Amino acid sequence: MFEHADSEIIERVIRQLRKPVAMDSGFDARVMREIAADTEVSRPRLRLGRWPWLAAAALFAALLIAHPWSQRADVRPDYQFVLVAPNAASVALVGDFNDWNPARSPMRATRAGIWATVVPLAPGRYHYAFLVNGVEWRRDPAAPAALDDDFGSPSSVVTVVGKGS
Amino acid sequence: MRSLAACLGLMGCVLLSVRSAAAQDPRYQRLDPDTRAHVSAVIDSARTVGLPTEPLIQRALEGVLKGAGSDRIVAAVRRLAVDLGVARSALGSGASSAELEAGVAALRAGATPTVLAQLREHRHQSLTVALAVLADLAARGVPVDSAAAAVLVLAPTARDADLVEFRRAVERDIALGAPPAAATSVRLDATARAAAPGRP
Repeated sequence: MFEHADSEIIERVIRQLRKPVAMDSGFDARVMREIAADTEVSRPRLRLGRWPWLAAAALFAALLIAHPWSQRADVRPDYQFVLVAPNAASVALVGDFNDWNPARSPMRATRAGIWATVVPLAPGRYHYAFLVNGVEWRRDPAAPAALDDDFGSPSSVVTVVGKGS
Repeated sequence: MRSLAACLGLMGCVLLSVRSAAAQDPRYQRLDPDTRAHVSAVIDSARTVGLPTEPLIQRALEGVLKGAGSDRIVAAVRRLAVDLGVARSALGSGASSAELEAGVAALRAGATPTVLAQLREHRHQSLTVALAVLADLAARGVPVDSAAAAVLVLAPTARDADLVEFRRAVERDIALGAPPAAATSVRLDATARAAAPGRP
């Protein structure tokens, strides 16, 4: 019984939907006008939307010029200098990298008298020496000697490998 | 005429600003007035011909800290400026400051300007490490001809790290008692064999 009533309702809905809809002749024109008006309103928003693209392009160009992903010549990896001097009261590292200024790279001692310090060095070749107790010059036994010593005291050289060397 | 005068004036201003920049460098204050005047003159001359000036300043500061007299400091700075010029003549005007410094080290180790020029011809990348290895091998007692020949053989293909490793290997062999020339020759052969593993 209920099934019969349902099918009757459905039939009625279908008939209603199949009736032709009466539209006036200007309906299409009105719809197209509305669409056109909506597009004109949104055009300024599109112009504003270009700025992020321009900013992204500028950022891309800046990255291309700066190429921060590549290793730069001014990158200075740390380099450790070590001297074994059990009887020293002070040891300073001096060289081309610190203007031969003993105050710039003082070395710290362990209990065993091993003096060490770490200096950031850009790729290149540097002359250096150890100044023990403020008066005694020592070259680095672990590094090549500087052949071009002009001042009659020992120096060593270190060559730091890297881009820009 | 007026534009020529303006141009000369501008050049004068630039030169004065460069000179005053050197004079204002606080590091010069560590030199006594007499030494400062002479060292400044050498450095100004070097700058005029496009040589790097930082190595010259560093050499003067080294002399001051080591207690050298004025004459000795000025002579050292002047000698370095001359050698930098020789190195540039051999390596070309495009050589970097680091290459020129390493070139001076190689020259003072006994390498000839011809060797430097040959290295420039053979190696199409920075020569700093190659020249430094040459000088360092000589400092370890390797005859400069052997050191130069080895570096020239390695130069076309070896990376900087390979050259440094070659030097370390030679130094180890020397420390263990090998004659420097023989150590260089043996290590060079080993490096060549490693580069061409198919060879017997």
